[in-house]
Amino acid sequence: MAESSSPAAQTLALTSQPSVPGMDPHHQDDCPENGLGRGNGETNGPPAKRSRPTPPLSPITAAEIAEEFSHHDLSVARINNGSFGSCPGSVLSAQAVWQRLFLRQPDAFYFNHLQPGLLRSRAIVKDLINATDIDEVSLVDNATTAAAIVLQHVSWAFSEGVFHKGDAVVMLHYAYGAVKKSIHAYVARAGGHVIEVPLPFPVSSNEEIIREFRKALDLGKANGRRVRLAVIDHVTSMPSVVIPVKELTKICRQEGVDQVFVDAAHAIGNVEVDVQDIDADFYTSNLHKWFFCPPSVAFLHSKKCSSSAPCLHHPVVSQEYGKGLPLESAWIGTRDYSSQLVVPSVIDFVNRFDGGILGIRTRNHDKVVEMGMMLAQAWGTFLGSPPEMCCSMIMVALPGSLGVSSEKDALKLRSLLREEYRVEVPIHYHRPKDIEAGRQNGHSGVTGYVRISYQVYNTVDDYYRLRDAVHKLVNDGFNCGMLPSK
Amino acid sequence: MDGQHDDHRVDANGRSQEEREGPLPKRPRPLLASLSAAEIAEEFSHHDPQVARVNNGSFGCCPASVVSAQIRWQRLFLRQPDEFYFRHLHPSIDRSRALVRQLINAPHLDDVSLVDNATTAAAIVFQNVAWSFMEGVFDRGDAVVMLHYAYGAVKRSIKAYVGRAGGHVVEVALPFPLSSPDEVVAEFRRALELCRADGRRVRLAVIDHVTSMPSVVIPVKELTRICREEGVDQVFVDGAHSIGNVEVDMQDIGADFYASNLHKWLFCPPSVAFLHTRHSSAAGRRLHHPVVSHEYGNGLPLESGWIGNRDYTPQLVVPTALEFAERFEGGLEGIRRRNHERVVEMGRMLAAAWGTQLGCPPEMSCSMIMVGLPSGLGIASEKDAMGLRALLREEFKVEVPIYYNKQSPDEDGEDKIGAAAVTGYARISHQVYNVAEDYYRLRDAINKLVRDGFNCTLLPSKEQR
Repeated sequence: MAESSSPAAQTLALTSQPSVPGMDPHHQDDCPENGLGRGNGETNGPPAKRSRPTPPLSPITAAEIAEEFSHHDLSVARINNGSFGSCPGSVLSAQAVWQRLFLRQPDAFYFNHLQPGLLRSRAIVKDLINATDIDEVSLVDNATTAAAIVLQHVSWAFSEGVFHKGDAVVMLHYAYGAVKKSIHAYVARAGGHVIEVPLPFPVSSNEEIIREFRKALDLGKANGRRVRLAVIDHVTSMPSVVIPVKELTKICRQEGVDQVFVDAAHAIGNVEVDVQDIDADFYTSNLHKWFFCPPSVAFLHSKKCSSSAPCLHHPVVSQEYGKGLPLESAWIGTRDYSSQLVVPSVIDFVNRFDGGILGIRTRNHDKVVEMGMMLAQAWGTFLGSPPEMCCSMIMVALPGSLGVSSEKDALKLRSLLREEYRVEVPIHYHRPKDIEAGRQNGHSGVTGYVRISYQVYNTVDDYYRLRDAVHKLVNDGFNCGMLPSK
Repeated sequence: MDGQHDDHRVDANGRSQEEREGPLPKRPRPLLASLSAAEIAEEFSHHDPQVARVNNGSFGCCPASVVSAQIRWQRLFLRQPDEFYFRHLHPSIDRSRALVRQLINAPHLDDVSLVDNATTAAAIVFQNVAWSFMEGVFDRGDAVVMLHYAYGAVKRSIKAYVGRAGGHVVEVALPFPLSSPDEVVAEFRRALELCRADGRRVRLAVIDHVTSMPSVVIPVKELTRICREEGVDQVFVDGAHSIGNVEVDMQDIGADFYASNLHKWLFCPPSVAFLHTRHSSAAGRRLHHPVVSHEYGNGLPLESGWIGNRDYTPQLVVPTALEFAERFEGGLEGIRRRNHERVVEMGRMLAAAWGTQLGCPPEMSCSMIMVGLPSGLGIASEKDAMGLRALLREEFKVEVPIYYNKQSPDEDGEDKIGAAAVTGYARISHQVYNVAEDYYRLRDAINKLVRDGFNCTLLPSKEQR
């Protein structure tokens, strides 16, 4: 490892060519691995504003899309982009170029290529999310890491007496499991009081969420407590709904909540992300879920360290400690940073689509709603939320006769669908709170939901296969009680 | 790999083929004859052939056969990631951990975790120490001792976690050049004594097994024993360079925590390291990965086995890396032994050619050794060292880290012949892909610089570079 002063301290002017001739992964038009090299792969700094890309002369064809994802298991109806995302062949090829560049001469890579490459990626992200300053944009492994960064800071604040024991941190009931544990590990352990916002599901309007959120804030402020942090999902994971984060953040400001952390793991490439508009203190999203990056890379947006904004630190401390989170995150010891370096290649890829990333997410949303409605109708069930509260994912109720009576059942049914029907779809178990009310709403007996995703590689056939698989199970009189215990 | 179908049948123990063998095709049994020079060159043909790469210590290396295995794992994930997660990831990480356990003579698999690198392992250990201070298990002002030559990132980490939480950080001054391990032991004892005189309990000692810059092998077993005698609570051995480089025996060394990178000297791709905790260590059971996932509370091995969606393939190719090492005569031990012999030989050759000396006796070196650079080069700062290193890389295509030795013999009053004027050292490494020519090129590059009257004051200033 480099033992002397870091190359991050050297001049980091954005250049369009790296210093190794012939080895630029983003400008080798003659290299068939790098796709067609059209579009916004420019590295002379980010585009001036978030303008829509010019429509490609000839948008990518269905055959080309299939080719880009030909490494997927084609026998599987893969309707779970939400869990692990996807990465097209041209981006994987670009990643391989970076990986080989490192292996070829790692010291030269470290001193000459790594930091400029990361800076290029950060500049693109800054523009994508409408951040004002590149110093506000850090690249980390994933939203789970970003959560640890924010929560470790809160933990220190409790331990160092900046926050008082019993001050509250508010999170949604449907917060991601890892984030809930992180809040427990960092906040509760340090003396913070954790409040969960119960959320209705199925949900029919934003007002339901806002109402519960306000109630939770009131609870947090009871007995003279302060609410130090609100953790709000932009798109919850299970069950998946789009949360009105802008409005909730505004309420937080009105109610004197110190800081707002938006866990938007699913957001980028899925819903609109405008960090100035949302105006949270911390905002994180994974680029490997809906933004075609390989595993794994996420961004964390946070204000520059100052008297009014806290100094966040990466928990893995390197010699970059104290230079600001972006630089700390850019070197956390020897690792493979290639997934963080291919963001320019991803821009090239999305700009091959009509409307770029906006076109992709609009079409994804329309298709997933269409497929969701098709399934709900075929099964005689319903959607878990109105279309305007979903994104490229939607929850569809499973027929009650399947008898999903626990999370274990949900997992086993999922495995059954994977192994016997080669359909990949996550299943959510939802214990109905009020059975009578449910029956009145026509939700009788429903305890399970599938979360279907739609991404550019999906075809309607994937969803017909899911439809038919569930039909067959129902017709065969299948019930989760029949599943073997582990 | 594409098109291969899983054999879903299970054996008498209920384990499927994947669980027994892993989802990748079995590698052909190694040939009886060990790798030829040509085969070794082929395995490392992806290295830049123009570069005299005498710096394995910084970033390690990864042979082509291991890179190929990694690609197969990556493809397996991309093909069907949910299946990969539910079916392959866990058992495959366990397979790697089991091999590491054997390699390091650890008694319990539960004590072996795989993490990204030693820097991460250090954060894990120090975060736990910080909690101990915060929660009143340790008292403010209790000491944590580290070596002056501890790795920069580790020093920072100690300050960021331990210093911040109220611990008192003590650095053990180490002389360099060194003439015997006794010098290290004496300084270490002195530091512990100082703490005792101050009335401070020493809660943690952080001891490098092989220091980075300057690089020497530290007598960790003896220092750990001294720690036990002196009532030091916990010992963390930062063995970042150790595995595949020096002997690593957990039971023999007896530290509470021991970490080493497998991508430096054990042929794994970037990046993977192990962190071992002594079974009887109460603190060991409280370690947590700082990136908290749903595995929180299930023990560090499981916590580290899932820290969110990422590429875990470097952790999965440990079996392939070890198979590679086994293709050499004497396996990993043979590789270590020959690397050490060659680096000492080359070090002596260079010292003789330059009229300088080695930074430590051969028995305190491993597969790396420090060689004094001619004083005429005028290395007067870390900046000079970096500048000279860049010059060697760009003009001579020689990659070697340079150490600026701040210690002046005048201060300690010793009169080491030749040492008075040497301010810079090259840290040369020897790994299986190195050839004598690499070191002749370094020798000649330095000789040319000296002949041409080069001096570090001639290096371009920062603005010009």
